[in-house]
Amino acid sequence: MNCFDRLKKAFSSFTEKISNKLEEKKEEIKETERPSGPPQEPVVTSDTQVPEQDQTPKRETTELKPEQRIADQAVQNSENVQRREDRKFDLFGFIRYKEIKEEDVSDLIDELRFELLEDDVSLEVTEKILEDLKRNLVGKKVSRKENLEQLIHESLKKSLKDILKKNYIEKDVVETIKTSKKPFVVMFFGVNGVGKTTTIAKFAMLLKKSGLSVIIAASDTFRAAAQEQLAVHASKLEVPLVKGKYGGDPASVAFDAIQSAKSRGIDAVLIDTAGRMHTDKDLVEELRRLVRIAKPNLKVLVLDSLAGNDALKQAEYFEKAVGYDFVILTKVDADAKGGIALSLAYELGKPVMYLGMGQDYDSLVKFNPDWFTERLLS
Amino acid sequence: MLDGIRDAVKKFLTGNASYDVAVEEFIKELQKSLISSDVQVKLVLSLTNKIKERLKKETPPSNLERREWFIKVVYDELSALFGGDKEPEVNPKSNPWVIMLVGVQGTGKTTTAGKLAYFYKRRGYKVALVGADVYRPAALEQLRQIGKQINVPVYGEPDSSDAVGISERGVAKFLSERYELIIIDTAGRHGYGEESKLLDEMKEIYEKVKPNEVVLVIDASLGQKAFDLAKKFHEASNVGSIIITKMDGTAKGGGALSAVAATGARIKFIGLGEKIDELEVFNPRRFVARILGMGDL
Repeated sequence: MNCFDRLKKAFSSFTEKISNKLEEKKEEIKETERPSGPPQEPVVTSDTQVPEQDQTPKRETTELKPEQRIADQAVQNSENVQRREDRKFDLFGFIRYKEIKEEDVSDLIDELRFELLEDDVSLEVTEKILEDLKRNLVGKKVSRKENLEQLIHESLKKSLKDILKKNYIEKDVVETIKTSKKPFVVMFFGVNGVGKTTTIAKFAMLLKKSGLSVIIAASDTFRAAAQEQLAVHASKLEVPLVKGKYGGDPASVAFDAIQSAKSRGIDAVLIDTAGRMHTDKDLVEELRRLVRIAKPNLKVLVLDSLAGNDALKQAEYFEKAVGYDFVILTKVDADAKGGIALSLAYELGKPVMYLGMGQDYDSLVKFNPDWFTERLLS
Repeated sequence: MLDGIRDAVKKFLTGNASYDVAVEEFIKELQKSLISSDVQVKLVLSLTNKIKERLKKETPPSNLERREWFIKVVYDELSALFGGDKEPEVNPKSNPWVIMLVGVQGTGKTTTAGKLAYFYKRRGYKVALVGADVYRPAALEQLRQIGKQINVPVYGEPDSSDAVGISERGVAKFLSERYELIIIDTAGRHGYGEESKLLDEMKEIYEKVKPNEVVLVIDASLGQKAFDLAKKFHEASNVGSIIITKMDGTAKGGGALSAVAATGARIKFIGLGEKIDELEVFNPRRFVARILGMGDL
C-alpha cells in the first residue's frame, strides 16, 4: 500500500543514525587535523588505489586510511596545490558520505518484505527482489536523506522494472493480428470467474476499433447462461457469434466459428472457453482437445489480479497443461496492486499484455512495465 | 513449503537449539505458511505474536507430548479467530428468513445462490430466488436456468435497472406467497473508484429489504485485498456470514480468514465445484489443516 510512506518512516530512523555517526566522525577528524605529525605513509593520489574488495564489508577500515593520509598531507604543504585540493575533496567526501552496511538496511528490508507481500507478490519473488535490493545497497555511499531515499527508490524500481521487462512483448497484439494470415485465432482460458467472457468482449472492441473484423465462438457450453451472456455482448458490439448447445461439444463450436471466418473473410476468431479449475483433469483434457482442433495462433490466460498466491499456481498448471503466450490481468480497478505480474515474469517468464480496469468495453489497457512499477510503489 | 510446519516442529524436537531459538524458527515457518495461504500480512503478524507469547509463557500439560501441544496452540489460536472448533449452525433462526448474497465480481454469488437454494430445499424449506443483478449480461438468465434445474421460483425484471426495487418487490412477492427462505442474488462489485456507487446501491438494498442475513461470498484464491474489501462490504451492509467458493482448486482460502477478521462474521459454507450439490457446511478443523498445509489435524 503506501509503500513509500512507511519506507520513509523506516528510513528516517536510519538516516538519523547515520547523521549522528557523521557528527561523531567530524569531531574525530577535527582532532586528527590539529596535531601535525610527520608523514607516515607514502602519498596516495586518490581512493582508486584503495583495493576493491569484492562487495565484502571491511570497507570501514580502508576508508579510515585516506583520511589520515590527507590529514598528514595537509601539514606537508607540498607545492602541488591541485593534488592537495583533490585530497581535500576526498576529506569532505568522507564527511558527507557513508557506506551502507547490511545491518543498516535489515530493518528496512523487513519493512519492504511486508509491503511487497501486501501487493500480492509471491513469497519467493519477494525474497529475490529484496536480495537484489540488498546487493545494490550494501557498500554504496550515501549522504543526505534525499539521496538515500532516492537511492532506495531507484534501486527497487529498477529491480522491479528489470523483472517486468524480461520477456515483455512491446508489440501490440492488434498489430500482430493485422500483419498475420487470416483468420487469426485467439483462445482464452482460465479458472472460473476471473473474467474471460468480459475480457473477450473488450478484446473484440479493441480489434474492431483498429478496423479488424471479429467473430466470437461461444465454446463455454457448460455454465448456465454463458451463451446468453456472450450473445448480449456480441449484439452490443455488433460482432457475429457462433453459439453452441448446452452440454454440447466446445471444440465443434470453435471449429464452426473458424470455418465461418474463413468463408466470410473475417480477420480474427476469439474463442471463449468454460471456466475450469486447473486441477480438474477432465476439463483440462477438454481444453487440450480444443487446442488441437482450433489450433489457435495465440493462447491467452486470464488471471484475476485480486487473487493471491494461487494465481501463480494457476499460471504454472496451465503452462504445463496447454501453454499460453501471455496473460491478461483482470479487476485491476479493484485497487488490486497485481503483484502477480512480477511473479509471472520472474517465475515463468510470462508477460502480462493487458490489464482489465473495469466493466466497460474500453477498459482494457496495454500493460506498461514503467507505469505498472510506479503504481506498485505508490 | 507444504510440510514446512511439520518440519519445523520436528526440528524443534530434535534440534539442539535453545527453546527460544526453536520457537523463533517455528514462528518464522508458521508465518511463511500463513502468508502463502493468503492470510493478510498484518493478521499473520498479530496472530503469530500471540502464539509466540503462549509458547514462551505456558508449559505443555503433562499428558501431552510437546509436539502435539505446539500444534494445538496454533490450532486453538487459529480456530478462535473464526469462532471456534464447532461446525456453524446453518438452519435459519426464524421463519421466514431472507438472505442477501454480496461479493466481488466473479466470486460465484449466482452459482452459490442456486446451491444454497438447493441445500435448504432438501432440508424441507420452501425456497425462492430473487435476481437483483441488473448489470452483468444474462445474469437473470443464469439464475433462471439454475432455478429451473432445481425447481425453485426466480423473481426478476429483465429490462429493469432498478436493483433496489427488484429486491423489494421480489421479497414482498415471495413473503406474501409464504415462502420460508428467500435468497437475493446481487451484482458483483468491489466498491473502489467508480464502483463506490455500487456499494451505495447495496447499502440501499440492505436498508430497504432488511435481510435477516447478509452473506459475503469470497473466492478461495482472494489475496491480500480480502481484508479491505470485506471491511468495505461490512460497512455498507452488516455482513453476518461468509461462504468460501472454489475450494476445489489449489487455493488455500486464507483470504477468508482476513475477511472474518474484518467483519467478525462466521464462515458457514464452502463451495467445492460448479455443480449444484457441491456445497458443504464449513469444517473448521479441515480448514485450518489446509491453511497450514498439513494433511490432517
